[in-house]
Amino acid sequence: MNKNLLNIFLVAVVGVFITGCGGSKDETAEFPPQDVTAEVQEYYATYKRVPLELKAKLGSGAISQEEFNSVMEKEPLFFSFKTLEDLPGDLLWENGMELEDIGSRNAIKGGTQYAALQDFPRTLRRVGPDANGSFRPYLLDDVAMRLARRHPNNTAIGPRGHYYFGELAKEWAVDKERKTVFVRMDPNARWSDGEQVTADDYMFMFFFFHSTYINAPWYNNWYKEMYTNITKYDDLTFSISVPEAKPDMNSRVLDLIPLPEHFYRELGDDYVQRYQWRFQPTTGAYIIHDDDIEKGRSITLTRQKDWWAKDKKFLRNRYNYDRIYLTVIRDIPKMFESFKRGDLGGTGLINLPEYNYEKLPDSDSDVQAGYIQKTTFYNEIPRPSYGLWINQAKPLLDNNSIRVGIHYATNWDRVIREYFRGDYIRMNTTADGYGEFTHPTLKSRSFNIDNALAEFAKAGFTDRGPDGILVNANGERLSFTLTTGYRTFQDMLTILKEEAAKAGLEFRLEVLDSTAGWKKAQEKKHDIMFSALNVSPEMYPRYWETYHADNAYDVPWLEDGETPNPERKLKVQTNNLQSVAIPEMDALINAYRRSDDAEEMKKYAFRMEEILYEDASFVPGFVQPFYRVAHWRWLRYPDDFNVKLSRSSGEWFLAWIDEDIKAETLAARKSGKKFEPTVKVYDQYAPESVRKGASLAGNAP
Amino acid sequence: MITSQPTSSVKVPRKRITVYSVIALLGLVSMFMVHWRFGLGLILLAAILALFSIPIRLNPLTFKKIKRFKEIRRGYYSFLILLFLSILSLFSEMIANNRALVVSYEGSLSFPTYADVKLGKEYGLTGPDANAPVNYRELKSRFKAESEGNWVLMPVVPYGPNENNKYEGVLKPRPPKSFLLSKLLLMERDKDPESRHYLGTDSTGRDISSRIIYGFRIAIFFALAFMTLVYLIGITIGCLMGYFGGIFDLIVQRMIEIWSMVPFIYMVIIIFSVIPSTFSISTRVSILLGIMVLFSWTGMTYYMRTATYREKARDYTAAAQIIGASPMRIIFHHILPNAISTIVTFMPFTMAAAITAITALDFLGFGLPPPTPSIGEILKQGTARLDAPWIVICAFIALVMILTLVTFIGEAVREAFDPKKFTTYK
Repeated sequence: MNKNLLNIFLVAVVGVFITGCGGSKDETAEFPPQDVTAEVQEYYATYKRVPLELKAKLGSGAISQEEFNSVMEKEPLFFSFKTLEDLPGDLLWENGMELEDIGSRNAIKGGTQYAALQDFPRTLRRVGPDANGSFRPYLLDDVAMRLARRHPNNTAIGPRGHYYFGELAKEWAVDKERKTVFVRMDPNARWSDGEQVTADDYMFMFFFFHSTYINAPWYNNWYKEMYTNITKYDDLTFSISVPEAKPDMNSRVLDLIPLPEHFYRELGDDYVQRYQWRFQPTTGAYIIHDDDIEKGRSITLTRQKDWWAKDKKFLRNRYNYDRIYLTVIRDIPKMFESFKRGDLGGTGLINLPEYNYEKLPDSDSDVQAGYIQKTTFYNEIPRPSYGLWINQAKPLLDNNSIRVGIHYATNWDRVIREYFRGDYIRMNTTADGYGEFTHPTLKSRSFNIDNALAEFAKAGFTDRGPDGILVNANGERLSFTLTTGYRTFQDMLTILKEEAAKAGLEFRLEVLDSTAGWKKAQEKKHDIMFSALNVSPEMYPRYWETYHADNAYDVPWLEDGETPNPERKLKVQTNNLQSVAIPEMDALINAYRRSDDAEEMKKYAFRMEEILYEDASFVPGFVQPFYRVAHWRWLRYPDDFNVKLSRSSGEWFLAWIDEDIKAETLAARKSGKKFEPTVKVYDQYAPESVRKGASLAGNAP
Repeated sequence: MITSQPTSSVKVPRKRITVYSVIALLGLVSMFMVHWRFGLGLILLAAILALFSIPIRLNPLTFKKIKRFKEIRRGYYSFLILLFLSILSLFSEMIANNRALVVSYEGSLSFPTYADVKLGKEYGLTGPDANAPVNYRELKSRFKAESEGNWVLMPVVPYGPNENNKYEGVLKPRPPKSFLLSKLLLMERDKDPESRHYLGTDSTGRDISSRIIYGFRIAIFFALAFMTLVYLIGITIGCLMGYFGGIFDLIVQRMIEIWSMVPFIYMVIIIFSVIPSTFSISTRVSILLGIMVLFSWTGMTYYMRTATYREKARDYTAAAQIIGASPMRIIFHHILPNAISTIVTFMPFTMAAAITAITALDFLGFGLPPPTPSIGEILKQGTARLDAPWIVICAFIALVMILTLVTFIGEAVREAFDPKKFTTYK
């Protein structure tokens, strides 16, 4: 019996490991030849974008199919072809060349950077199933060239949006009246297989992302809804139009990454398999050779020596490593040991307090000898909204006093001070880190037992039960489920639970795996969710997804638009996780979405934050205002270390390897020679409150 | 021929009966008045004391076996130690807890261990502490400083299992206070005179000794329940298969073969992903128990089936059949007592397997829901925090000690019940 139990157990455990190591199948299966060119041309000649309002009308039954068809008849084609004479003459062309260069002029090209991946990439495709993994930045986000890129240090908002510098575009013109961005491409831009990058590649990009072959509904939707037209004037000149002239409309177009039409000729139903392990020619600096892929073990990126953009301003001092060798190390502690042995050039693991303070403290012998350098860099990017998302559609939680009480009863200060070792700071609004768009004065409520008890008392919870949890006159306990999909934060939530009990509030912890946790929240079945929405560096926060009543209920209001509809049902699969439905908020969100004036939008955003503060259904948690990196001495960074908008030290490829220092350091490790220890904090972009801290300031250059 | 005779009436001294009854009654009362666990502990204590003192006139063979078991010192003492620890663990609240055992405030005594949560104002605290539950450790030092005759008596380990305690201002592992442990393992030692973290704390500052004590209680009673259920199902089905044989045996055996191929860890993972984890911790533990039992009883049936087949062929079974005894009576009255000796020897090992399984599941993160204290969970933390070696070492030593005790018992039982030594057939 006992053996049997153990055997079953062992078999199961081994099974888990074996299935975990899959992917060794031979993928060189033959695919029949096919050609998508005719289909592409046909699509260019016929595709019309359905306006969103029209789509909504058809969906709700306000118009019939015939009416819909007749309106669609008159709609213009999405893909247009014109000549250079048709180009408007009144355009203001810009190229961003006046902006400051990034990176260090001292950067040396060469060397191999060794880094680790926790999982081997499941595909080399950039889109489609499994493509959104931790390897994608090396293929797409951080490496592939865009038309232009937002300047990472100059985050001001100019008359035509954020400041951009050209990558694939030689110059561009933003025309707000026509809701169009015109682009002249750099004639030198080349794919890594030698083909020129042309306007056709942008035309094809739309076909590709509209196509159902790619199995990526999010892309289908985004590229159909966010763009209204692409017009080709000649091989290197085109324009792209957007539905609304928002303050950041330039970013909608300039951030686009083209796709090589010649490479995707064989696009078809078997796209997912056919392109699974084919490396798509890139406009970026790094390519992957077929024999550099060791499935399940390692993958290597190689720098193109004659990359077309190697001398371009903004790019010339970046992408310095000759090769980037990525090994798969599944176990985190092992990854750290590899780094300490010198097998990896750097590690971000010291972002975790236990690594920064105990496993690699400043007093560590390698740090003290100067072999390993530690750096803390304060960045300024929109912050993931870690906090408690209270679902006010649930009983008791619909009471504002209880929600405010929960604010006072959650001890984030203790969590930040003791669990995160004072590294993090408290989040104050629902959208921190948006620069000018973040509410300047709003502060979140601090832990206070008396305030919490007073608020709970307002809602009828006055007496403590035998276990110290408050009960009301009906005998209901003040107890809510606190759900999360983050196993890593389990211990932190335990602290919140223990602290809340002091204020007579019970959190029942529910730790699910990430998919199940997210699913529960999307179905609005949670009481309180600890989660975070990841945000990309956009100009201004989004409110419609998370706070508009349309995303909370199917029919939120009665005819008058403000009386709650008694028969309304929760709308599932939306991001309004708090079921917030406030008429004033809806009006503000609509105005905010319509507005094309940044100042006006800011005013709306601040008012919305104030409403949300009063509504108290989001308990702002914490913000990590920096990232840390430990790296070997031979890995060099610019004098100001990194750019303001960077999420990690590697994102902008500013570092380089100094082979002489490497040889010197390796020799020194053998001989025992020591260097000056280097533990630096770069707080030039830190928030005011942090910069005042005396211990942190002082060593930035 | 062996048959188990019902034991004849036993004589127990009156006095003792009265004492035990009083203890049991006290337990029954305190189950409702104080805490169910405390009461249950008292009742069990009474029952075990009674069992030990009753001069039961057992079947001479069983008596011999028990005598033999007692003679195997290592196993017998292991049994006594484990029994003692198990009973003691029912009173864990009085050993490791952040609530005081006794508080004397302004001349009146109170016993907060099993009582309702008390707020600070009841002990004259003011400010933010007045409306918060009392922190008895702080209360103790406060009373001491005030020296107004008030005092607090804390348990030996004055920390709760889920309580996060600071070390140098933050939540990080605190080295053990125990001089022996630190000397033995050449580790740093906690020099804080106030601290009573004998085994140190884990990575978020929870007291390891407290967590091991509560973790042990859960593990041992989980294993006991697991064993009882597995045997109940396994023995019943095994006996039925052996007794009826034929088609019934054939079909059930094939079903068991299929059933036992289902890997139970997958089932645990799957089932736990669909049941709402808002269920209370005890419900979740019961579900885990249910799943484990469901996939573990099959092994038992093979032994019982063979044993029953063997016994069924003997004359006494035929005799019972001729007399007209029902199959159930024959199985459970005649055959089972003779087949049981094989099974008894497996019992401790089943327990060991159950403890291992629950520890392993916790280690993998699929076991008891957080923040339930468990040895597997401490082990898991420990392997990630090798810079704080006491975490993994304490959990490891605790696990090894429990398993060693159980294994010693198992070996002794196996030897004592060895059929070659005692069974004779006429």
